[in-house]
Amino acid sequence: MANKEVKVIVVGGGLAGLMATLKILEGGGKVDLFSYCPVKRSHSLCAQGGINACMDLKGEHDSIYEHFDDTVYGGDFLADQLAVKGMVETAPKIIKMFDRMGVPFTRNPEGALDMRNFGGQKNKRTLFAGSTTGQQLLYALDEQVRRWEVKGGVKKYEFWEFIKVIKNKDGVVRGIVAQNMNSNEIVSFPADVVILATGGPGQVFGRCTASTICNGSAVTSVYKDGAHLANPEFIQIHPTAIPGSDKNRLMSEACRGEGGRVWVWRENPETHEKERWYFLEDMYPAYGNLVPRDVASRAIYKVCVHMGLGMHEPNRVYLDLSHIPKDYLERKLGGILEMYEDFVGKSPAEVPMEIFPSVHYSMGGIWVDRKHHTNIPGLMAAGECDYQYHGANRLGANSLLSATYSGIVAGPEALRLARSGELGEPLTDAEMEAARQECVKEFDAIRNMNGPENAHKLHHEMGEIMYKYVSIERDNIGLDQCLKELKGILKRWDNIGVTDHGNWANQEAMFVRQLRNMILYAMVVTKGARCRDESRGAHAKIVLDESGNRVTTPDGELVFMGRDDEHFMQTTIVDYDPKTEEPQVSYMEFDHSLIKPRARNYAVAKKE
Amino acid sequence: MAEQKKVRLVIERQDGPEAQPYTQEFDVDYRPGLNIVAALMEIQKNPVTVDGKRVPPVVWECNCLEKVCGACMMVINGKPRQACCSLVDNLTQPIRIAPARTFPVIRDLLIDRSVMFESLKKIQGWVNVDGSWESTDAPRQNPYTAATAYEISHCMTCGCCLEACPNVGPQSDFIGPAPTVQAYLFNLHPLGAYDAPKRLNALMEKGGITSCGNSQNCVEVCPKNIKLTTYLAQLNRDVNKQALRNIFNE
Amino acid sequence: MIHSTFYLRRLHSLVGLVVLGGVIFEHVFTNSMALGGPEALNGALAMMELIPHPIFLAIEVCCIAVPLLFHAIYGIYIALQANNNPGRLGYIRNWQFALQRWTAWFLVVFLIWHIFYLRIFTKGIMGTPISYELLQSYFTGSPLVAAIYVLGMFAAIFHFCNGITTFCMTWGIAKGPRVQNVVSVLSMCLCAALCLVTLTFMGSYFVM
Repeated sequence: MANKEVKVIVVGGGLAGLMATLKILEGGGKVDLFSYCPVKRSHSLCAQGGINACMDLKGEHDSIYEHFDDTVYGGDFLADQLAVKGMVETAPKIIKMFDRMGVPFTRNPEGALDMRNFGGQKNKRTLFAGSTTGQQLLYALDEQVRRWEVKGGVKKYEFWEFIKVIKNKDGVVRGIVAQNMNSNEIVSFPADVVILATGGPGQVFGRCTASTICNGSAVTSVYKDGAHLANPEFIQIHPTAIPGSDKNRLMSEACRGEGGRVWVWRENPETHEKERWYFLEDMYPAYGNLVPRDVASRAIYKVCVHMGLGMHEPNRVYLDLSHIPKDYLERKLGGILEMYEDFVGKSPAEVPMEIFPSVHYSMGGIWVDRKHHTNIPGLMAAGECDYQYHGANRLGANSLLSATYSGIVAGPEALRLARSGELGEPLTDAEMEAARQECVKEFDAIRNMNGPENAHKLHHEMGEIMYKYVSIERDNIGLDQCLKELKGILKRWDNIGVTDHGNWANQEAMFVRQLRNMILYAMVVTKGARCRDESRGAHAKIVLDESGNRVTTPDGELVFMGRDDEHFMQTTIVDYDPKTEEPQVSYMEFDHSLIKPRARNYAVAKKE
Repeated sequence: MAEQKKVRLVIERQDGPEAQPYTQEFDVDYRPGLNIVAALMEIQKNPVTVDGKRVPPVVWECNCLEKVCGACMMVINGKPRQACCSLVDNLTQPIRIAPARTFPVIRDLLIDRSVMFESLKKIQGWVNVDGSWESTDAPRQNPYTAATAYEISHCMTCGCCLEACPNVGPQSDFIGPAPTVQAYLFNLHPLGAYDAPKRLNALMEKGGITSCGNSQNCVEVCPKNIKLTTYLAQLNRDVNKQALRNIFNE
Repeated sequence: MIHSTFYLRRLHSLVGLVVLGGVIFEHVFTNSMALGGPEALNGALAMMELIPHPIFLAIEVCCIAVPLLFHAIYGIYIALQANNNPGRLGYIRNWQFALQRWTAWFLVVFLIWHIFYLRIFTKGIMGTPISYELLQSYFTGSPLVAAIYVLGMFAAIFHFCNGITTFCMTWGIAKGPRVQNVVSVLSMCLCAALCLVTLTFMGSYFVM
């Protein structure tokens, strides 16, 4: 082998991180894999419904172009089309790889792969392993990486928290500082290239469908070091989740893919009889219950909040599976039905589930090019923490695909970059020690904070603020107010007091450090939303009149801004201003050369 | 106004791996659907014991809160289970919470389960694919066999079965039910089956399946309802056959 | 790859079933003759004396003493690997698991005493043949001895019958939960029946 030995640091052990790791190992590189938790417990396993790939196994003449178009159209034309094209073309190969690795995909009676419907697409294009597809895909990669652990080449640092990247004197990222979450020891690690695959920022909203580890802290850390964030205002609200005080638990879109219907009680406007109103089917006859998530969430929100038809306080609508045979449900959706029973105590096969929309996924994230390089040399990003592939709204079952695909792209590219000799000098011991000392100092300062504020209460408050102003419906006055309140929260962060001053498994102090990053990220989301004066995908902005009141139509409906391709057919770029700690927004062109933008309307069948 | 109903938690704490365990009691406001993780989160917001003492918040591990990641396993009222789906309504009070001491305790309820992942290496818990690149299609699978594989593949390495198993612990080298049964998962896969003899031979070694004493606690406590004992019996059958093959075919 | 642990464990299981089973059935069968009175029991004991002495001794050593000693010693090693927890996890199988080990500890002590006193001391060294009269005076003379013998028999019978269940699991004979349950219930029925017979013939010494 003429290749010199190179080492890549991968931060995050979800689908994207593990896939990148595997590719690097297969290419002959070495990997240090960092994760908050054993990689087998990464958040990818919460994905339930499936993974999209055009396999056309159901006689529907599905095509890769159709998948491509659905994704771009579903994302309201804000996704880089060349990137999406690469992803959908690779999708069937990814499925075959997973199948060989032993993912127990649900099968048809012939023993071949089964497929189901999903939101925003008319063909059966979603492969699934019951209702725990993410878990099964993650386990397959976890197993393969474990095989490599035995073979040699990868070293896992589990229960290690990424704190920051270290740049050499040319400004190239050549290492990271990380902290052992048990011993609280802070160490610098050198590398040739660093890939972040740290997932989404769901915790910024407090309660969401994300795991407690999805706090976006790593993303904010590199943002503070100069990485562009892109499209952060596009936060997907999943229409069907079980609201809870500790978290909102996802109820997969697969429920609707397998025939679930969403309804509320109403008085029939003509007969005045009480009836079940299947409002999604009524509002969007072409796609019915399988409209994309942003559309479904807005409809549910409207029915509950503006029309007052939610079933009671708190607001809920019904997601009904009780008309579907029990054994069919058991086979196709077993895992999540069990979850509903576990947490609510009722069987979805017998009574309709009570659900409400919840923050679910961030389409935005670290800006990357099509090869997954960030704007900082030597730093790459993959998975939910990058902004690629989904535009303004992600279609269901495209996230497992994008996570895996971004790992497939980023891994070999990291290896190429590491071997290219373009990276300048490796870090000196002094540079590594200086970076380490800085983090130690920061952590020690946090451990000794003695103010009156409780970090967890502050986090809760921030979540409330974000839900209030930056969720399904946004308006500029609210967003301005939100920014103001977030600045207040940031100020109050300085007055946090910790009760745990120790230096052993001090989760409280680590949380305080993450919280600051979460607040900064919340500001990024809000600022991005404030500056984008249009409605597109998951970002829906209400029109205000001069005196700041919400404009309504004569029959009392809210008026939303339209999509403004002339000004906002651009990627939002957010940069950190170290002086003010505030986000700076600019816009960047992206590739939309393949499919001409057209109006997005799910009430009628898609026209190309 | 009626007085706010409280939930009493008696938590076994420990400051470090070598420290002496001690208990502390906390009261948390009751609300319908409250689970143990949510209760522990409430303690984080106000870490004050019933005696009014301000203490460091309880340390534990949790991720998904949906019973799929396996992180929040602890011993609640004597039984190992996932804290996230342990609803207060279904537990007798006061609720006693302790770390799963089958594993080394790091701090409070936080434990070190790395031994389980090491065991997965011993049983060669993977399909030996040529690589992650595109190659031939995977073979078709009997849908019924695939359904069994799916059931076993739910195992989230939470460690409930190891904590419940009397034969797992510092006194024994048994790798435990979960990793053992994982071997069967890979033996079921058409490509994984090529290496079945290797896995069965690994299970024959010290600490392998022969250490199972059939107490069957594993199947009782498995939060994923995996029929562990059934697959253990099947593996017993398979290793016996493998032993015969080892004796007569080599 | 010698897998000595595997073969030792399997041997341990097999010896338990065959040898312990054989010994228990022999003891229950022979002793139940006591129900027919002194002549019946003495007749049955005399039958065994018909086997030539050296052969009888060889059978005793090779087919009973050595395997049982192996079962006991390796069994102690196995029992030491368990951290019994039926108090915390009170499932039936877990109780049976714990009882399997507790009866084992009791049996080790009981059998040492039983064999040394009756077989080695009384029969071997003193040369007194075992007879109905000897046993009757032994048991009725001290109800404590009788009670310990009843407990010893119960322990051995339970250990054997529960062993049938675990044998069926360990050898992969009973796989599914239903068949495992059936085997468990059947072997517990056998356990109850053998215990009842034991209680009856032990009682008969006191009645007759």
